[in-house]
Amino acid sequence: MSRLRTLLVNLAVFALVAVGGGLGSAWYMIEAGSQLSTRTFGPWTAWTAAGRPDADPYTRAHTTRNALLPISSTLELTYKARTDSRGGKLTSACDYALVVEGLDSSWWNLAAYDTRGRLMANAAERYAFTSDTVMREPDGRAIITLARDARPGNWLPIGGGGRFVLILTLQDAAMASAAYEGAPGAKLPAIERVACR
Amino acid sequence: MTTAASLTLPLKAPRWLDALGWRTLAGALLAAGIVHILATLAVPLLGAGSGFARLRQDLPANRMVVWPPSAPGKEPLPFLMPDALYAVCHYDLAHDSLRVAVTLAHAGWLLSLHSAGGENFYAMPAQPLHHDQVSLTLVPGGEKVEFVPQPRRVGGPEANVASPTTEGLVIVRAPLKGLAWRQDAEAILRHASCTPVPR
Repeated sequence: MSRLRTLLVNLAVFALVAVGGGLGSAWYMIEAGSQLSTRTFGPWTAWTAAGRPDADPYTRAHTTRNALLPISSTLELTYKARTDSRGGKLTSACDYALVVEGLDSSWWNLAAYDTRGRLMANAAERYAFTSDTVMREPDGRAIITLARDARPGNWLPIGGGGRFVLILTLQDAAMASAAYEGAPGAKLPAIERVACR
Repeated sequence: MTTAASLTLPLKAPRWLDALGWRTLAGALLAAGIVHILATLAVPLLGAGSGFARLRQDLPANRMVVWPPSAPGKEPLPFLMPDALYAVCHYDLAHDSLRVAVTLAHAGWLLSLHSAGGENFYAMPAQPLHHDQVSLTLVPGGEKVEFVPQPRRVGGPEANVASPTTEGLVIVRAPLKGLAWRQDAEAILRHASCTPVPR
Protein backbone atom coordinates (compact mmCIF):
# COMPACT_ATOMS: atom_id res chain seq x y z
CA MET A 1 0.00 0.00 0.00
CA SER A 2 2.83 2.32 0.90
CA ARG A 3 4.61 1.59 -2.38
CA LEU A 4 1.42 2.24 -4.33
CA ARG A 5 0.99 5.54 -2.53
CA THR A 6 4.56 6.51 -3.34
CA LEU A 7 4.05 5.61 -6.99
CA LEU A 8 0.82 7.59 -7.23
CA VAL A 9 2.34 10.66 -5.57
CA ASN A 10 5.33 10.59 -7.90
CA LEU A 11 3.14 10.09 -10.97
CA ALA A 12 0.84 12.94 -9.98
CA VAL A 13 3.69 15.36 -9.32
CA PHE A 14 5.44 14.35 -12.52
CA ALA A 15 2.30 14.96 -14.61
CA LEU A 16 1.55 18.25 -12.88
CA VAL A 17 5.05 19.67 -13.27
CA ALA A 18 5.67 18.30 -16.77
CA VAL A 19 2.35 19.19 -18.38
CA GLY A 20 1.23 22.13 -16.24
CA GLY A 21 4.66 23.69 -15.98
CA GLY A 22 5.53 23.10 -19.63
CA LEU A 23 2.27 24.42 -21.05
CA GLY A 24 1.96 27.21 -18.48
CA SER A 25 5.46 28.55 -19.12
CA ALA A 26 4.95 28.28 -22.90
CA TRP A 27 1.65 30.19 -22.63
CA TYR A 28 3.32 32.93 -20.59
CA MET A 29 6.23 33.31 -22.99
CA ILE A 30 3.87 33.38 -26.01
CA GLU A 31 1.29 35.77 -24.58
CA ALA A 32 3.21 38.06 -22.25
CA GLY A 33 6.67 37.70 -23.75
CA SER A 34 10.00 38.12 -22.05
CA GLN A 35 13.25 39.94 -22.61
CA LEU A 36 14.09 37.28 -25.18
CA SER A 37 11.32 38.43 -27.51
CA THR A 38 10.02 41.82 -26.37
CA ARG A 39 11.32 45.24 -25.40
CA THR A 40 9.51 47.38 -22.84
CA PHE A 41 9.68 51.17 -22.70
CA GLY A 42 7.57 52.52 -19.84
CA PRO A 43 4.04 51.18 -20.37
CA TRP A 44 4.78 50.21 -24.00
CA THR A 45 5.84 46.73 -25.05
CA ALA A 46 6.93 45.73 -28.54
CA TRP A 47 7.61 42.32 -30.06
CA THR A 48 10.71 43.48 -31.86
CA ALA A 49 11.02 40.55 -34.27
CA ALA A 50 7.34 40.46 -35.24
CA GLY A 51 6.76 39.93 -38.93
CA ARG A 52 10.39 39.15 -39.66
CA PRO A 53 11.21 35.93 -41.48
CA ASP A 54 13.95 35.28 -38.87
CA ALA A 55 11.63 35.82 -35.90
CA ASP A 56 12.17 33.67 -32.81
CA PRO A 57 9.72 30.82 -32.06
CA TYR A 58 7.95 32.76 -29.30
CA THR A 59 7.27 35.70 -31.61
CA ARG A 60 6.04 33.37 -34.35
CA ALA A 61 3.72 31.63 -31.91
CA HIS A 62 2.50 34.98 -30.56
CA THR A 63 1.59 36.35 -34.00
CA THR A 64 -0.06 33.08 -35.09
CA ARG A 65 -2.06 32.59 -31.90
CA ASN A 66 -3.34 36.16 -31.97
CA ALA A 67 -4.08 36.12 -35.72
CA LEU A 68 -1.79 39.08 -36.30
CA LEU A 69 -0.28 40.07 -39.64
CA PRO A 70 2.48 42.38 -38.47
CA ILE A 71 4.61 44.48 -40.76
CA SER A 72 8.28 43.59 -40.53
CA SER A 73 9.90 45.33 -37.59
CA THR A 74 12.66 46.54 -39.89
CA LEU A 75 10.15 49.10 -41.15
CA GLU A 76 7.37 49.56 -38.62
CA LEU A 77 7.00 48.77 -34.96
CA THR A 78 3.84 48.20 -32.98
CA TYR A 79 3.79 49.00 -29.27
CA LYS A 80 1.06 47.76 -26.98
CA ALA A 81 0.14 49.29 -23.61
CA ARG A 82 -2.06 47.52 -21.07
CA THR A 83 -1.20 49.86 -18.20
CA ASP A 84 -0.64 53.55 -17.61
CA SER A 85 2.80 54.92 -16.80
CA ARG A 86 2.31 54.16 -13.09
CA GLY A 87 1.46 50.53 -13.73
CA GLY A 88 -2.31 50.72 -13.22
CA LYS A 89 -4.43 48.70 -15.67
CA LEU A 90 -6.02 50.81 -18.39
CA THR A 91 -9.73 50.96 -17.69
CA SER A 92 -12.52 52.99 -19.18
CA ALA A 93 -13.53 54.06 -15.66
CA CYS A 94 -10.61 56.50 -15.80
CA ASP A 95 -9.51 59.36 -18.06
CA TYR A 96 -5.97 59.40 -19.44
CA ALA A 97 -3.79 61.91 -21.25
CA LEU A 98 -1.01 61.20 -23.74
CA VAL A 99 1.39 63.81 -25.00
CA VAL A 100 2.95 62.83 -28.31
CA GLU A 101 6.10 64.76 -29.06
CA GLY A 102 9.37 64.07 -30.83
CA LEU A 103 7.83 61.76 -33.40
CA ASP A 104 7.74 64.38 -36.15
CA SER A 105 9.79 62.34 -38.60
CA SER A 106 7.58 59.26 -38.26
CA TRP A 107 4.13 58.38 -39.46
CA TRP A 108 2.23 57.06 -36.44
CA ASN A 109 -1.16 55.70 -35.46
CA LEU A 110 -2.67 55.41 -31.99
CA ALA A 111 -5.77 53.24 -31.54
CA ALA A 112 -7.76 51.87 -28.60
CA TYR A 113 -9.16 48.32 -28.53
CA ASP A 114 -10.74 46.03 -26.00
CA THR A 115 -8.45 43.35 -24.59
CA ARG A 116 -9.32 40.95 -27.43
CA GLY A 117 -8.33 43.41 -30.14
CA ARG A 118 -11.83 44.55 -31.10
CA LEU A 119 -12.83 48.13 -31.65
CA MET A 120 -15.00 49.70 -28.96
CA ALA A 121 -18.28 51.10 -30.21
CA ASN A 122 -18.83 54.82 -29.59
CA ALA A 123 -21.26 57.38 -30.90
CA ALA A 124 -18.49 59.51 -32.39
CA GLU A 125 -17.26 56.51 -34.44
CA ARG A 126 -13.73 57.50 -33.54
CA TYR A 127 -11.22 54.74 -32.98
CA ALA A 128 -7.79 56.17 -33.70
CA PHE A 129 -5.60 59.17 -34.38
CA THR A 130 -2.72 59.33 -36.79
CA SER A 131 0.04 61.87 -37.28
CA ASP A 132 -2.10 63.16 -40.15
CA THR A 133 -5.39 63.51 -38.27
CA VAL A 134 -4.33 64.69 -34.82
CA MET A 135 -4.64 68.37 -33.85
CA ARG A 136 -1.39 69.87 -32.62
CA GLU A 137 -0.46 72.52 -30.09
CA PRO A 138 1.43 75.60 -31.30
CA ASP A 139 4.68 73.95 -30.17
CA GLY A 140 4.01 70.84 -32.29
CA ARG A 141 2.98 68.51 -29.46
CA ALA A 142 -0.21 66.47 -29.76
CA ILE A 143 -2.24 65.99 -26.59
CA ILE A 144 -4.68 63.09 -26.78
CA THR A 145 -7.33 62.57 -24.12
CA LEU A 146 -8.69 59.06 -23.58
CA ALA A 147 -12.07 59.18 -21.91
CA ARG A 148 -15.48 57.55 -21.95
CA ASP A 149 -17.30 60.87 -22.44
CA ALA A 150 -16.57 63.65 -24.90
CA ARG A 151 -13.61 65.93 -24.17
CA PRO A 152 -12.33 68.97 -26.04
CA GLY A 153 -9.39 68.56 -28.41
CA ASN A 154 -8.13 65.14 -29.47
CA TRP A 155 -10.66 62.92 -27.72
CA LEU A 156 -10.28 59.18 -28.17
CA PRO A 157 -13.31 57.29 -26.77
CA ILE A 158 -12.48 54.19 -24.71
CA GLY A 159 -15.77 52.35 -24.50
CA GLY A 160 -18.39 51.96 -21.85
CA GLY A 161 -16.66 49.77 -19.33
CA GLY A 162 -13.89 47.34 -18.69
CA ARG A 163 -10.26 47.21 -19.60
CA PHE A 164 -8.75 48.30 -22.86
CA VAL A 165 -5.39 48.37 -24.59
CA LEU A 166 -3.63 50.97 -26.68
CA ILE A 167 -1.69 50.22 -29.84
CA LEU A 168 0.88 52.71 -31.08
CA THR A 169 2.23 51.99 -34.56
CA LEU A 170 5.35 53.84 -35.65
CA GLN A 171 6.48 53.73 -39.25
CA ASP A 172 10.11 54.66 -38.90
CA ALA A 173 12.88 52.29 -39.96
CA ALA A 174 15.55 53.98 -37.81
CA MET A 175 13.39 53.81 -34.70
CA ALA A 176 12.41 50.20 -35.38
CA SER A 177 16.06 49.29 -35.74
CA ALA A 178 16.93 51.10 -32.48
CA ALA A 179 14.12 49.32 -30.63
CA TYR A 180 15.40 45.97 -31.91
CA GLU A 181 18.72 46.84 -30.29
CA GLY A 182 16.98 47.78 -27.03
CA ALA A 183 16.75 51.58 -27.28
CA PRO A 184 13.42 53.31 -27.89
CA GLY A 185 14.98 55.60 -30.51
CA ALA A 186 12.58 58.38 -29.58
CA LYS A 187 10.52 59.39 -26.59
CA LEU A 188 7.38 57.26 -26.48
CA PRO A 189 4.39 59.06 -24.97
CA ALA A 190 3.70 58.61 -21.27
CA ILE A 191 0.15 57.55 -20.36
CA GLU A 192 -0.95 59.69 -17.44
CA ARG A 193 -4.07 58.83 -15.47
CA VAL A 194 -6.03 62.05 -15.01
CA ALA A 195 -9.07 61.02 -12.98
CA CYS A 196 -11.23 58.01 -12.19
CA ARG A 197 -14.93 57.68 -11.45
CA MET B 1 23.78 29.00 21.85
CA THR B 2 21.57 27.81 19.02
CA THR B 3 22.65 24.97 16.79
CA ALA B 4 21.30 24.06 13.42
CA ALA B 5 19.88 20.85 14.81
CA SER B 6 17.81 22.69 17.37
CA LEU B 7 16.14 24.92 14.78
CA THR B 8 12.62 23.83 13.86
CA LEU B 9 10.43 24.95 11.00
CA PRO B 10 7.24 26.71 12.03
CA LEU B 11 5.21 24.67 9.48
CA LYS B 12 5.34 20.94 8.98
CA ALA B 13 5.77 19.73 5.41
CA PRO B 14 2.87 17.58 4.16
CA ARG B 15 3.46 13.85 4.59
CA TRP B 16 3.07 13.06 0.91
CA LEU B 17 6.24 15.03 0.21
CA ASP B 18 8.21 12.26 1.92
CA ALA B 19 7.15 9.92 -0.87
CA LEU B 20 8.47 12.25 -3.58
CA GLY B 21 11.83 11.26 -5.03
CA TRP B 22 14.35 13.74 -6.41
CA ARG B 23 14.53 11.71 -9.59
CA THR B 24 10.83 12.32 -10.15
CA LEU B 25 11.31 16.05 -9.75
CA ALA B 26 14.33 16.17 -12.04
CA GLY B 27 12.53 14.08 -14.66
CA ALA B 28 9.42 16.26 -14.39
CA LEU B 29 11.44 19.43 -14.93
CA LEU B 30 13.12 17.89 -17.96
CA ALA B 31 9.75 16.79 -19.35
CA ALA B 32 8.33 20.27 -18.68
CA GLY B 33 11.12 21.73 -20.80
CA ILE B 34 10.32 19.34 -23.62
CA VAL B 35 6.58 20.13 -23.40
CA HIS B 36 7.42 23.85 -23.38
CA ILE B 37 9.52 23.60 -26.56
CA LEU B 38 7.04 21.33 -28.35
CA ALA B 39 4.07 23.58 -27.48
CA THR B 40 5.91 26.72 -28.63
CA LEU B 41 6.93 25.15 -31.93
CA ALA B 42 3.52 23.57 -32.49
CA VAL B 43 1.50 26.80 -32.37
CA PRO B 44 2.79 28.25 -35.68
CA LEU B 45 2.71 24.82 -37.34
CA LEU B 46 -0.91 24.13 -36.42
CA GLY B 47 -1.77 27.72 -37.30
CA ALA B 48 -5.54 27.16 -37.35
CA GLY B 49 -6.21 30.59 -35.88
CA SER B 50 -3.54 32.49 -37.79
CA GLY B 51 -4.36 35.65 -39.70
CA PHE B 52 -3.87 33.93 -43.03
CA ALA B 53 -6.02 30.92 -42.06
CA ARG B 54 -8.85 33.24 -40.99
CA LEU B 55 -8.83 35.23 -44.23
CA ARG B 56 -8.11 32.42 -46.69
CA GLN B 57 -11.68 31.08 -46.66
CA ASP B 58 -13.30 34.39 -47.52
CA LEU B 59 -10.93 35.71 -50.15
CA PRO B 60 -10.95 34.63 -53.81
CA ALA B 61 -7.56 33.53 -55.11
CA ASN B 62 -5.47 35.98 -57.13
CA ARG B 63 -7.96 38.83 -57.03
CA MET B 64 -7.70 42.13 -55.16
CA VAL B 65 -10.58 42.85 -52.77
CA VAL B 66 -11.13 46.24 -51.12
CA TRP B 67 -12.30 46.14 -47.52
CA PRO B 68 -14.32 48.94 -45.94
CA PRO B 69 -12.87 50.58 -42.82
CA SER B 70 -13.09 48.40 -39.72
CA ALA B 71 -16.06 48.98 -37.45
CA PRO B 72 -17.00 47.39 -34.12
CA GLY B 73 -18.13 43.83 -34.74
CA LYS B 74 -16.88 43.88 -38.34
CA GLU B 75 -13.13 43.54 -37.89
CA PRO B 76 -11.60 40.94 -40.23
CA LEU B 77 -8.66 40.51 -37.82
CA PRO B 78 -7.92 41.59 -34.25
CA PHE B 79 -5.92 44.77 -33.72
CA LEU B 80 -6.36 45.79 -37.36
CA MET B 81 -5.64 49.47 -37.79
CA PRO B 82 -8.94 51.41 -37.89
CA ASP B 83 -9.52 54.51 -40.01
CA ALA B 84 -7.84 52.78 -42.92
CA LEU B 85 -8.97 51.07 -46.09
CA TYR B 86 -7.37 47.80 -47.09
CA ALA B 87 -6.99 46.08 -50.43
CA VAL B 88 -6.18 42.41 -49.96
CA CYS B 89 -5.25 39.70 -52.43
CA HIS B 90 -4.99 36.03 -51.49
CA TYR B 91 -2.31 34.81 -53.85
CA ASP B 92 -1.75 31.26 -55.01
CA LEU B 93 1.39 30.64 -57.04
CA ALA B 94 0.71 26.95 -57.70
CA HIS B 95 0.29 27.50 -61.44
CA ASP B 96 1.20 31.07 -62.34
CA SER B 97 3.28 33.92 -61.03
CA LEU B 98 1.46 37.07 -59.95
CA ARG B 99 1.89 40.65 -61.07
CA VAL B 100 1.00 43.17 -58.37
CA ALA B 101 0.38 46.80 -59.31
CA VAL B 102 -0.59 49.36 -56.69
CA THR B 103 -0.41 53.08 -56.05
CA LEU B 104 0.89 54.27 -52.68
CA ALA B 105 -0.63 57.71 -52.72
CA HIS B 106 0.11 59.28 -49.33
CA ALA B 107 2.32 58.97 -46.25
CA GLY B 108 1.34 55.91 -44.23
CA TRP B 109 0.22 53.92 -47.27
CA LEU B 110 1.94 50.59 -47.34
CA LEU B 111 2.23 47.54 -49.57
CA SER B 112 3.10 44.36 -47.67
CA LEU B 113 3.47 40.73 -48.71
CA HIS B 114 2.84 38.01 -46.14
CA SER B 115 3.56 34.30 -46.39
CA ALA B 116 1.02 31.70 -45.27
CA GLY B 117 2.88 31.61 -41.95
CA GLY B 118 2.29 35.33 -41.47
CA GLU B 119 5.88 36.49 -42.09
CA ASN B 120 6.08 39.83 -43.80
CA PHE B 121 8.74 39.05 -46.41
CA TYR B 122 8.36 42.29 -48.36
CA ALA B 123 7.10 45.76 -47.50
CA MET B 124 7.11 49.03 -49.39
CA PRO B 125 5.90 52.23 -47.71
CA ALA B 126 4.81 55.33 -49.59
CA GLN B 127 7.82 57.50 -50.29
CA PRO B 128 6.89 61.14 -50.88
CA LEU B 129 9.94 61.90 -53.00
CA HIS B 130 9.62 58.83 -55.21
CA HIS B 131 7.22 57.44 -57.75
CA ASP B 132 3.99 56.41 -56.03
CA GLN B 133 3.20 53.55 -58.42
CA VAL B 134 4.64 50.19 -57.53
CA SER B 135 4.70 47.13 -59.75
CA LEU B 136 6.27 43.81 -58.89
CA THR B 137 6.02 40.17 -59.86
CA LEU B 138 5.59 37.57 -57.18
CA VAL B 139 7.28 34.25 -57.98
CA PRO B 140 7.62 31.02 -56.04
CA GLY B 141 10.69 31.03 -53.80
CA GLY B 142 13.80 29.27 -55.06
CA GLU B 143 12.40 28.77 -58.51
CA LYS B 144 14.09 30.18 -61.58
CA VAL B 145 11.44 31.58 -63.85
CA GLU B 146 11.46 32.68 -67.45
CA PHE B 147 8.97 35.47 -67.90
CA VAL B 148 6.83 36.07 -70.94
CA PRO B 149 7.54 39.66 -71.96
CA GLN B 150 4.48 41.83 -71.41
CA PRO B 151 3.93 45.56 -71.52
CA ARG B 152 4.06 47.22 -68.11
CA ARG B 153 0.77 48.49 -66.82
CA VAL B 154 2.25 51.03 -64.52
CA GLY B 155 5.42 53.00 -64.48
CA GLY B 156 8.20 52.83 -61.94
CA PRO B 157 10.76 50.18 -61.20
CA GLU B 158 9.54 46.60 -61.41
CA ALA B 159 11.05 43.75 -59.45
CA ASN B 160 10.64 40.04 -58.97
CA VAL B 161 9.92 39.05 -55.39
CA ALA B 162 10.24 35.42 -54.31
CA SER B 163 7.51 34.16 -52.01
CA PRO B 164 8.65 31.64 -49.38
CA THR B 165 5.27 29.86 -49.58
CA THR B 166 2.94 29.02 -52.46
CA GLU B 167 0.08 30.89 -50.86
CA GLY B 168 -0.04 34.15 -48.97
CA LEU B 169 -1.46 37.64 -48.84
CA VAL B 170 -0.80 40.91 -50.61
CA ILE B 171 -2.07 43.79 -48.46
CA VAL B 172 -2.29 47.47 -49.31
CA ARG B 173 -3.02 49.64 -46.29
CA ALA B 174 -4.41 53.10 -46.93
CA PRO B 175 -4.91 55.18 -43.76
CA LEU B 176 -7.61 57.82 -44.15
CA LYS B 177 -6.85 61.43 -43.28
CA GLY B 178 -10.58 61.99 -42.86
CA LEU B 179 -13.93 61.20 -44.41
CA ALA B 180 -13.24 63.60 -47.27
CA TRP B 181 -10.37 61.38 -48.44
CA ARG B 182 -12.34 58.12 -48.40
CA GLN B 183 -13.72 58.29 -51.93
CA ASP B 184 -10.35 59.21 -53.31
CA ALA B 185 -8.61 56.41 -51.42
CA GLU B 186 -11.24 53.86 -52.45
CA ALA B 187 -10.86 54.83 -56.09
CA ILE B 188 -7.08 54.40 -55.93
CA LEU B 189 -7.37 51.05 -54.17
CA ARG B 190 -9.89 49.76 -56.72
CA HIS B 191 -7.19 50.19 -59.35
CA ALA B 192 -4.81 48.01 -57.35
CA SER B 193 -4.48 44.63 -59.02
CA CYS B 194 -2.96 41.21 -58.64
CA THR B 195 -3.00 39.36 -61.95
CA PRO B 196 -1.73 35.84 -62.71
CA VAL B 197 1.17 35.81 -65.17
CA PRO B 198 2.08 32.57 -67.01
CA ARG B 199 5.57 31.30 -66.26
